Amino acid sequence: MIVRHEPWGAWVKLESTAAIVAIDHDGVRALGLDAPHVDGPSAPIEVHMAVTSRCGAGCKGCYLDATPDGVEPPREQLIDALDAMRDAGVFTVAFGGGEPTTRADIAELAEEARARGITPVLTTSGIGLTAAKIDRLRAFAQVNVSYDGAGAEYASVRGYDGARSAESAISALAAAGVRVGVNVVLTRATFGALARTLSHARSLGACEAQLLRYKPAGRAASLDYLAQRLDAAQARALGPTLRALAAELSPDGAFPIRIDCALVPFLSADPGIDAAALARFGVFGCEAAGALAAFTVNGVVAPCSFAAPTRLRSRDLGEHARDADLARWRAYVDAPPEPCASCSIRAVCKGGCKVVATFAGAHGPDPECPRVVAHREASR
Amino acid sequence: MSERTIDRDERVSEDSVRAVRVGHGANCSSVGSVIDTLFATAAIGSAVLAMVAAALASEPVRVVGAKRDEDDPKKEPP
Repeated sequence: MIVRHEPWGAWVKLESTAAIVAIDHDGVRALGLDAPHVDGPSAPIEVHMAVTSRCGAGCKGCYLDATPDGVEPPREQLIDALDAMRDAGVFTVAFGGGEPTTRADIAELAEEARARGITPVLTTSGIGLTAAKIDRLRAFAQVNVSYDGAGAEYASVRGYDGARSAESAISALAAAGVRVGVNVVLTRATFGALARTLSHARSLGACEAQLLRYKPAGRAASLDYLAQRLDAAQARALGPTLRALAAELSPDGAFPIRIDCALVPFLSADPGIDAAALARFGVFGCEAAGALAAFTVNGVVAPCSFAAPTRLRSRDLGEHARDADLARWRAYVDAPPEPCASCSIRAVCKGGCKVVATFAGAHGPDPECPRVVAHREASR
Repeated sequence: MSERTIDRDERVSEDSVRAVRVGHGANCSSVGSVIDTLFATAAIGSAVLAMVAAALASEPVRVVGAKRDEDDPKKEPP
């Protein structure tokens, strides 16, 4: 196991099973370790690193605005970044872009991460995934393929029908023994087809699904976002929908369903959600500038992949705690205004998605959170 | 980073486990968390905790991260 001391105890990354555990000071001592005095804020435990902004898919909502002639940072920059992650005690690095499989050295980069005790994972569109590329992906602990649904659903999110390519990629990766999951973007159009989408992904060999909120960043930061995002009823229905999906597709926990940080505020509308259980099972709301950081292709740190970059260089991640821009993000999370302040899931949710809030006009409570919507309507 | 195998006389108690994040996830743009365990039977939740307890009791320990030297006992886990 890999232990990283924290002010409240330690994060522990297990190696015999894929899990990260938070333990208190007594737990640290039970491991036979001293529980040293440490000061926060902590470095991230997960980094999302854009290894290219090159991509030919042309998704209309690409958060990075990737293009076929995008930037491919030199390998040395990425090695320096991995060194900084190792020194800071980062547990997981997610390679993305752009299309990360366009890099010829992607397998070597994964091995470099492993050599530093960091678990490498990767996201791909699956387009153009040749046998040679699949072979390179064996170096990753897991590969997720973007798959928003069959045919029309996929096209509604991406602007072209790439569902067949994604489905082929899922099957081929699974057949090659690569642990493969799917990323499903939730929009007004894909939400209703979710059960069918996940069921089909599972039948193709996917081992888990991650549901992603559509976010107004990159090419998606336009008026079209307002037509794509979940409507208010769908946002309120997320909790019951997840409950039904879990019962139907993963009654034994064999097909894990994940939600991303930005979907957590929608759970505030579900009276059946147990806030203590959310915390117990390590659900992360907005961890931008906290447990999460993003590295851009230009080698700088951002609070998350959708947020504007800071001036902190990736190789200087050790200065994460002292960066003023990152500190401002954490400060909001530590003391949000109402209605977040009195919300039962505040400690997990942390105020919802700041990228959505900023798009709507202010770095404040998530304007699409059902609780925030109700609060604002009651205040009028 | 330091690595050592430690003879452990005691096990990490369940009460000391503040949070368990299962799986790797593999999304490069936002951080994901397994949610179906919240809706699963108590038996599945117990199985997850048992698996974690067994790993905590048996795996060798490596310590990573920058050394920090002040304490703020009020800080809570994320």
